[in-house]
Amino acid sequence: MQHASSIEMNAVPETITTPSLRAKDYKSAISPVWCPGCGHFAVLSAVTKALAYLKLAKEEVALISGIGCSSRLPAYIEGYGFHGVHGRALALASGLKAARPDLTVLVAGGDGDGFSIGGNHFLHACRRNMDLTYIVMDNEVYGMTKGQASPTTQPDWAKSKLTPRGTGIRRFQPPAIALAAGASFIARGFSGDPSGLTKLLVDAIQHPGFSFLHVLSPCQTFRPEQKDWKHLVHPCRLGGPTDNPVEAARRIQADDGMALGLLYAQSLPVWQPLNRTSATIDEIELEFRI
Amino acid sequence: MNENSKAIETVPELLVHALELEHESAERYRQLAETMSVHHNVEVADLFTRLADMSDAHASEVTARAEGMMLPQIAPWDFKWSCPGSPESNCLDDHNVSYLMTPMQVLELALHNETRGRDFYAHVASSSPSPAVRAIAGEMAEEEGEHVDILKDWIAKESHSSTPAQEDLDPPNMPE
Repeated sequence: MQHASSIEMNAVPETITTPSLRAKDYKSAISPVWCPGCGHFAVLSAVTKALAYLKLAKEEVALISGIGCSSRLPAYIEGYGFHGVHGRALALASGLKAARPDLTVLVAGGDGDGFSIGGNHFLHACRRNMDLTYIVMDNEVYGMTKGQASPTTQPDWAKSKLTPRGTGIRRFQPPAIALAAGASFIARGFSGDPSGLTKLLVDAIQHPGFSFLHVLSPCQTFRPEQKDWKHLVHPCRLGGPTDNPVEAARRIQADDGMALGLLYAQSLPVWQPLNRTSATIDEIELEFRI
Repeated sequence: MNENSKAIETVPELLVHALELEHESAERYRQLAETMSVHHNVEVADLFTRLADMSDAHASEVTARAEGMMLPQIAPWDFKWSCPGSPESNCLDDHNVSYLMTPMQVLELALHNETRGRDFYAHVASSSPSPAVRAIAGEMAEEEGEHVDILKDWIAKESHSSTPAQEDLDPPNMPE
């Protein structure tokens, strides 16, 4: 295995020419089954706009997911997709990217899928720094299974029958953990800010390496109080994006969880597989011969 | 969030904004119609489809006006909206969008959106340095104002025969 050493940060084209495809061309014929008013609609829209802006052909894109409401995203996009196993979206996506480094691989999921059952994969995807874009639509609840506490739910949230007095457990802090695990791009968007979210997504896709985009995406069915998020979010108050992990750690620790924007971007070696066959099938079979 | 405070300076730029506004609106209404269909709220789905068709018709009018012009390409985040997204389709969560929505709530949502559209054009009409942009934006604000009046009349008529809000027989959170 080897690391790519030449990395160019965020080369957003200055001049925009006529796109070959419009955002709506990336939407599939399948109607979303999300609840009306769900924040995930804005994420779907942002993904299609980002793909159109970047002029990516449908066959150059793969969207991989796990299980949950947000993980239905691949069905709604025209392109390669894999609605995978719970918590294993990053493992699937890593395998795909290793085999097909030419593809733009997006990974989508929710806070339950990504930070609970998929938490281990999240840590190692961050440190491995493959060129993947991981979009986590965080609504602080398991929505598909009708409203249980997730790793990002407040410890005193008592609206689930499973945790009638709340979980009493401190919340998972996605950006802080991503930074500690070695992610090279960390940003937070909000589904109520579709323009800002699209820009972050374009930056995330263009970033060489593992990009973690934490999206606050309200669940208005099981967490109706999240409608107030539109009054609570704010641009990151502690200055522009930094490439200094110590400074980023300070900012993220001081963050109230509602700061939007690019929080950290660093040029780090990108993991890539060697571009050659290491063994033939016959050689591999020899290993297993009794 | 959206910090684009620059004025719209050219007619083609204004028309790109107008097209985006109508396309986004049509797409969002159509999406809501499909979702309401999935949730078996047929009456509301039909109404959202009608609203989507109206937005499509308005987009066609803008396209006709733009015939022969070279329209600029604008990145999604560079539109000069006064809110985080397109005025007639963003901030929908300000309203009670739910699978149990009534036709009256849909009309109120549409009124909210048309009012934002009218205010956007009125702002352009008062802030652009270009007389041509100010004139066209003024016309568009007037047209949107007519849509606002139509919706107000529609709401007044519907209020006498409106469908009552449905009771949710399986509410999502039932803490004991």
